[in-house]
Amino acid sequence: MALTLVWTIRFLVVSIVVSMVRVVIGPTVADRMIGLNLVAAQTLALLVLISVSMDRTILLDVALVYDIFGFVGLLVMTRYFSGRKGEL
Amino acid sequence: MNIGTVIFFVLGAVFNIMGNLGVIIFPDAYTRLQASSTCSTTSVLSFLIGCMFLVGLGPMLGRLLVITIFFFVTSPISAHIIARFAWQNGMVAWRRNFRMTGGRGRADG
Amino acid sequence: MNLRARWNLVRFFITFISLFSGWLLFTWSLDTGSLVAGVVSCIAVSLVTWSIFVDETEAGRRAHLPRPHYFLLFLGVLVFNMYVASFKVLWQIVRGNINPSMVHFRTHLRTDIARVVLTSSITLTPGTITVDLNEDHLVVHWLDAQTTHSRYAGKLIKGIYEKLLRRVWL
Repeated sequence: MALTLVWTIRFLVVSIVVSMVRVVIGPTVADRMIGLNLVAAQTLALLVLISVSMDRTILLDVALVYDIFGFVGLLVMTRYFSGRKGEL
Repeated sequence: MNIGTVIFFVLGAVFNIMGNLGVIIFPDAYTRLQASSTCSTTSVLSFLIGCMFLVGLGPMLGRLLVITIFFFVTSPISAHIIARFAWQNGMVAWRRNFRMTGGRGRADG
Repeated sequence: MNLRARWNLVRFFITFISLFSGWLLFTWSLDTGSLVAGVVSCIAVSLVTWSIFVDETEAGRRAHLPRPHYFLLFLGVLVFNMYVASFKVLWQIVRGNINPSMVHFRTHLRTDIARVVLTSSITLTPGTITVDLNEDHLVVHWLDAQTTHSRYAGKLIKGIYEKLLRRVWL
């Protein structure tokens, strides 16, 4: 069972790096936001898997706070970019 | 050996690969958002359910439930926020066999 | 005690109960110290936020409390539909044959929270994303559009969700 967790964690790290491609090459702002949202969701899963494999309950708080801050950051980014014309 | 954990982890990995592939190969922002929404929600939810099978009853299950409920509520809302941002800034949706003639492409004007 | 003061008290208790259930799930212990700290901090937080957590105009009992058996049935249908539709979208990604389109339709649900849950479940079902919600008028981006006629598209997308949600929140 520990081997399953380890291989899932390795898979997720590679997958996060692959999904950073869309953040780098995205032609518009919305594409970069989609990439960031994807990276944030996979990082949440990665943090949960790490804290389960280390069997430390306190590390799950880090995952929850990371998720909350990702959501608030997305809201702030849409607020910030929505007033600007001609940049999308 | 917990069979539910393995099933959900494999399911999550398959959805994750396909979501990443869809985000890379799809033609415009709305369709990429479809693939991203599929991937992030279903695969992360599968990973969380697999972790719930793994930890059993205890203090970790409560926090995993809180994280799952929060993710289940905020994931469609963040997809909706991005789609609404693109819609309000006048992004044109990609259509198959559709030639652009310079309009904004929005049905209401 | 007039009607408005009683409704304010009910709003305060709704906020308190939802915060305290979150506290119980998060700490997962029934010690006296933990419970006292939870009650004190939940009262402090809900004294500040009760006026924005529950809307003042939605005063019906059915607007806030879902019927539990229909709500559980709705959650089960939603998760099952999520997995089925995920496999459909996965097959479309593999084939690369997509036909996206924007469709408009209206909903018959009346309370705000039921409309929000309907749009969230439309977004959560892969293949459709709610782009805009304006009173009762929805704009949906559909990955594999079979029709652009408003009523048929609404019937295909809303489908079973609206029938179930009318029973959950009236």
